Amino acid sequence: MRAGPMVRLVARSLLAPSFAVAAAILVKGYADAGDGFSAGAVAALGVMLQMLAFGRERVARDLPLHLAPRVAMCGLAIALGVLIIPVLAGGAPLEHWPPPGEKPIYIGTLELITAVVFDIGVFLLVLGACVAIIDALARARAAEEEVA
Amino acid sequence: MDELPPPTPPAGGDQVIAGPDGPEDAARPQTGGFGPSAAGAIAAAVLALVALGILWADGGGSIDEPWAPAWDLRLSFALDGLAALYGLLAAGVGALVFTYASAYVPRHLAADGRPREDEARLHAAMVLFLVAMVGLVTSEDLILLFVFWDLTAIASWLLIGFDRRRREARLSALMAMLVTTVTAVLILIGILMLRAEYGTTQLPELLRVAEPSTTVTVACALIAIGALAKSAQVPLHFWLPRAMAAPTPVSAYLHSAAMVAAGVFLLSRVHPLIALEPGLLDGLIVVGLLSMAVGGVLALAMDGLKQVLAYSTISQYGYVVTMLGVGGAKGAAAACFYVLAHALAKSALFMTAGAVTQATGAKALSATGGLLRKLPLLAAGSAAAAAGIAALPLTIGFFKDELFFAASAQRSTELGVAAVLAAGLTFAYMARFWAGIFLGPLRSPVRAPLERRLVWPIAGLGVLVVLGGIAVAPFAELAGDAATVTNGAPVDLHVAYHLDTRTENLMALGAWSLGLLLLAARPAYVPALAAFARLGERLGPDRLYWVSLRKLNELSDAFHDFEVRDLRSRVSSVIVPASVLVALGVIVTPTGGVYVVGAVERDDLPLVVALATCVFAAISVTIPRQHIALTLTLSGVGFSLATAYALMGGADVALVAVLVETLFALLFFGVFALVPRSVLRREARRRSPDRNRWRDGVVAVASGVIITLVVWSALSRPVPKDGMAERHVALTEVAHAKATVTAILADFRGLDTFVEITVIGVAMLIVMAAVRTRRRA
Repeated sequence: MRAGPMVRLVARSLLAPSFAVAAAILVKGYADAGDGFSAGAVAALGVMLQMLAFGRERVARDLPLHLAPRVAMCGLAIALGVLIIPVLAGGAPLEHWPPPGEKPIYIGTLELITAVVFDIGVFLLVLGACVAIIDALARARAAEEEVA
Repeated sequence: MDELPPPTPPAGGDQVIAGPDGPEDAARPQTGGFGPSAAGAIAAAVLALVALGILWADGGGSIDEPWAPAWDLRLSFALDGLAALYGLLAAGVGALVFTYASAYVPRHLAADGRPREDEARLHAAMVLFLVAMVGLVTSEDLILLFVFWDLTAIASWLLIGFDRRRREARLSALMAMLVTTVTAVLILIGILMLRAEYGTTQLPELLRVAEPSTTVTVACALIAIGALAKSAQVPLHFWLPRAMAAPTPVSAYLHSAAMVAAGVFLLSRVHPLIALEPGLLDGLIVVGLLSMAVGGVLALAMDGLKQVLAYSTISQYGYVVTMLGVGGAKGAAAACFYVLAHALAKSALFMTAGAVTQATGAKALSATGGLLRKLPLLAAGSAAAAAGIAALPLTIGFFKDELFFAASAQRSTELGVAAVLAAGLTFAYMARFWAGIFLGPLRSPVRAPLERRLVWPIAGLGVLVVLGGIAVAPFAELAGDAATVTNGAPVDLHVAYHLDTRTENLMALGAWSLGLLLLAARPAYVPALAAFARLGERLGPDRLYWVSLRKLNELSDAFHDFEVRDLRSRVSSVIVPASVLVALGVIVTPTGGVYVVGAVERDDLPLVVALATCVFAAISVTIPRQHIALTLTLSGVGFSLATAYALMGGADVALVAVLVETLFALLFFGVFALVPRSVLRREARRRSPDRNRWRDGVVAVASGVIITLVVWSALSRPVPKDGMAERHVALTEVAHAKATVTAILADFRGLDTFVEITVIGVAMLIVMAAVRTRRRA
């Protein structure tokens, strides 16, 4: 099954913007609407649209789909790290740095705080999990067609 | 043959002649040298032994680091007398048993047709157990102690179920795990009760402040139940004979010096708390005496080598529990010394049983005999160990019984008599065990020479047992220091040979005579023993365990079958109970001031339009019959709701709503792409029967009405002034955030978020695994 030329054109031209929007949502999460979950969902939507429009095989040639589960697990590991490290250092789980009252480090307008790192973990997990699930279903479909 | 059949059909290691690691396999020697994992395990145990020894000689030591100050948890370890006794036992016996295992396990694996690399699993679990045990005995904090307690349970599960291809081994491992961890929950409850009462889980502080009260009594009773289950005391003893399905090194370690010892260790550790309530101590005596009797009698009845030893262990730890129940300086001294003497001797006997099976293939007393000349060193080592358990002079065991007799006789005459009876039983089954293997006619010839590593650890322990019978002072000192901790007051432990007619000596003579009598008269009461064993099998707690396990399984299956019958029952099994609860909540909530219709102002017009669109879309969902159209209409509902959120100022919520709607629409399309067109067309044309249509209509209207009422009552209720929402908004700034929702997700409620993303990760793994199995199928 292949989508029509119009859908393919739109899908292809939306891939890069969806990643850009995801990055923006992620980075600006602490100042504006959006967070790791939304960012992950936007990025995953971009990838899913490609798969709907071009089929799994075509997309797998351009994007490293097989890495999706690893991306998800990395995200989980990052979030777990942010959760555990303060405990090892003697704090409460998920105690963020810098503590209240201290000035965070700025890069331009971007604040360096561990809550953002946690959010990046959430982002990677949502992106990886969505893509991995869709990819698994698509591969199942391909395998079924082969059998048939 | 006057021997009994094995009492419990699935118990492993009972066959008279071994099944899987039978004669032809045992005949093939496996002298493969040390595996790297075995060498590592031995090194770990020796290291632990040396470290503990040096530290203890140095006067102990302690570590106290904050762990989670927010929860008032500390990593506090201390090496006191009690910790030194049990830690040195676990490490020392561990070093010898691991050496034995380095030769035993490769043979065991070869007999089972498993690759030699599998031995690494066993050694790793053994070391895990050793680490958990050392952590357990040195913990000063009860929560920390509980963590290590559960770690020992996990390690023992891995070890007992090492032969995981055998059903018995798996069931036995599960049983040991269930019995010890379900009761461990009781320990946790006890600990938390103490914490609620005194605000601390630090043991030294608890011992200082605790006073007799109902809370303390109940908490201690719960802790004691967990400890007794771990020490395989009646009526929670049934897992131990089953656990003999484990490879012999595991039994030699877990069921002499480590796992079962952990139970009495905990009792000793919290003994000053238990001693606050004399009734609890009396309870310990009752349980101990029962275990002594049941274990001793069944040890006399069993035929399997390891079965005799398993029941012997139950009985021997019954002694220790009884002594802890007697309490005081004498009881504590007897208990601690008993643990030391028993662990050395019993691990040697377990290893003897394994070595005999490896040499001859025989696994039961009825199939062995006359091995004295064939395996002289093994016979000598195990003779010393058996004499140690039977409390003969010139072994460390003599003193264990001397202390035991002294404490019992001091408590009461009845207890003294019971002690003599128990010691007589012990003498009888130990003599029968050793004589059955090494004396009499040769029943199974030696087929395979034994490696030195299968014999020397036994000889080494035998030497220790005899050494303890000659120069007892160092052993007595170690046990005395442990008893001081148990008793909560200094204990002066002195033992020596006295060649006079003092009570202890007379009691010992009485016990030996009784033992000889029991041995001689054995044919007369064997039928009675058999009947007792069968009764236990029919009506015993073992039976209760299986019945309750099966019933629980059936209940769970029944729920599960209903839930997974089809998509509708799966969804409704979640939604129906939840909505009934919500409806009940709405009904019982006072309705004063709610269900108000607020004023609609001009600024609200966009919101009203959005909501109206939403209503319109929701009604339209009932119309389309094509799947794609239906999906798009459903998305329409979601998108108009997202618009409403945005108009109400919830930009974050609106963003998520849009994303979720888009995701779901794409997912639906993806799923439709998987379904053949013809099926979709047929389903779209199908009409549901009228009866269902009415039912569905009623359900839809009822749930709609309830939801409306719930939302209405929630929205028309005045928002509390200092609610959670205000606090979160105020804290957002402090958390270096400008968007409250994000701050809640990543910071205030970060733990929830973490659990949620873990669920997503797990769901991903499940989908991938499900698809993979389907493809393979």
